[in-house]
Amino acid sequence: MSGAALRPAGSRRRTPGQIVGSVLGALATLALVLFAIFPQLWMLISSLRPATELFISPPTLFPSSFTLDWYIEAFAGSNAVRWFANSLIVAVATSLISSAVGALAGYALARFVYPGRKLFMVLLTSAYLFPAILLLMPLYLMLANYRLVGTLPAIVLAHLVITLPLSTWLMKSFIEGIPRELEEAALVDGCGPFGAFMRVTFPLLRTGLATTLLFSFILSWDEYLFASTLSNGSTATVPVGIQTFISSFDVRWGAIMALGSLVTIPVVVLFVFLQRYFEKGITAGGVKG
Amino acid sequence: MLRGRSGLFGRGLSAQERRLGLSFSLPATVVFLVVLAYPIFENFRSGFYDLDLVGKNPAWVGFDNFIEITQDQKLWRSLGNTLTWTIGSLVGQLGLGLAAALLIDRPWPGMRWVRQLLLMPYVVPVIASALVWQWMLDGNYGIISTEFQAWGLLPFGASPLGQESTSLLTVIIINVWRGFPFAMLVYWASLQSIDQAQYEAAMVDGANAVQRFLHITLPNLASVTLSLIAVRGLFTLMYFELIWLTTRGGPAGSSDVMSTYLYRVIMGEFRLGYAAAIAVTVGLFLLAVVVIFQLGRRLAARR
Repeated sequence: MSGAALRPAGSRRRTPGQIVGSVLGALATLALVLFAIFPQLWMLISSLRPATELFISPPTLFPSSFTLDWYIEAFAGSNAVRWFANSLIVAVATSLISSAVGALAGYALARFVYPGRKLFMVLLTSAYLFPAILLLMPLYLMLANYRLVGTLPAIVLAHLVITLPLSTWLMKSFIEGIPRELEEAALVDGCGPFGAFMRVTFPLLRTGLATTLLFSFILSWDEYLFASTLSNGSTATVPVGIQTFISSFDVRWGAIMALGSLVTIPVVVLFVFLQRYFEKGITAGGVKG
Repeated sequence: MLRGRSGLFGRGLSAQERRLGLSFSLPATVVFLVVLAYPIFENFRSGFYDLDLVGKNPAWVGFDNFIEITQDQKLWRSLGNTLTWTIGSLVGQLGLGLAAALLIDRPWPGMRWVRQLLLMPYVVPVIASALVWQWMLDGNYGIISTEFQAWGLLPFGASPLGQESTSLLTVIIINVWRGFPFAMLVYWASLQSIDQAQYEAAMVDGANAVQRFLHITLPNLASVTLSLIAVRGLFTLMYFELIWLTTRGGPAGSSDVMSTYLYRVIMGEFRLGYAAAIAVTVGLFLLAVVVIFQLGRRLAARR
């Protein structure tokens, strides 16, 4: 730990003040990390606790034994398998459509000057900033008109409004990161614009595409408002399904924590593997939520 | 742009470029028109009707819905809560985000992992966050509530989410927890881009750490702070999920904000015409804010 000072530009030797500062900094960081991750840890611990230990007052910090009973209960007494299947279908469909459409639009924005480009950017920004709750009623009415309410495609359509601006924005910034000269070289060598894209740009875009897919997947997987109003019993996604546990007469916290952990784990795993891209994505495009 | 239009059907690379640009943007444009623009347009019309989910013949009521807005006591109360919610959340998220960014901006080993852990609240699905906070704050078995009760800060068996005096403050704290990592990451990225020579020059001039922070770090973060306030502010104003999933706007409306109020008008009372009028009013207000913000920014840039 040679560079403990905030900006080790001056001398390397540390004054007592700097050492105290470093210790305080480390303690503050530790406290902040605890603040950030305690709720998730508590959710996991609670989901693994036997009922006799879950419902005692005051609660104990560390469980004396672990059990999978709550997970079994969560699946045995509900349509949880169905909810996970629905969530997966919706999130995969949303992220595939959103990334494909977003890649095309992002490519156009990054590479071409065309009439309506500026208008399209305004549309994109408005869609990104538009609050979902204001769209709820008119979107619901429109989908009800076409008898789509209660179906998975309706949820996918609604999720596209949320994910598409971000997908387009992300793809635009990734494409801008690829030197245009590479494509131009391909054009000179006799490729058409489409061929130049497929042979040169596309292979270089794989990480960008993965990031975009990941982002739209997570946004769709997490979404509650549209999924809850546009689904019915058989098309509920996980966030919607978990809610049914809480509205029932007695709140089954153990089962809720079990489902909460299960809905969180895929997101955290994706995030751990793709942290670098995730950070780039947030700073490049910004995310709602 | 005119030049582009005239050459749209011509030959040559630039005409082809324009055609490709348009056709590549087409699918996204269609999605936005169908799922966003058209519903919003219909929403404007709905505001002038007495409309519910079952009504076959919606009646034209002119500006009645908009007049009702001015007399809706609950709505005005929720507006006050919305302001508290937005300002409180922003101050907390940006403040804690900046503090966190300064903490992780050290060349220590393992900082990548610290960053990863600090980002967790932002990554975890909102439904899971809302539920685990409810559980931790549960009046009988919650680890936080029972602790507060032992200290005498809370009545026995009570949850801070269930008290009229503390419900709004509690959801704001949960929202700060959830949103600070975003501000942290944005601040951290812009800390990286500050020119180190400025700090070196200040050290030569004998400036201490506090002076360096006030006169170099903060001014360099001003513009990114403005962007954060704009984007997060706009988002937080009408953010629905977290409040709905923790308190549903209660108890007794004490944490009711515009978004939860609007949701109840739609899904609870089915007064769609009135909901449309509220949505139009809020939407136009937000648009005005954005336009003023953009104009201000342009004027500031011109100076």
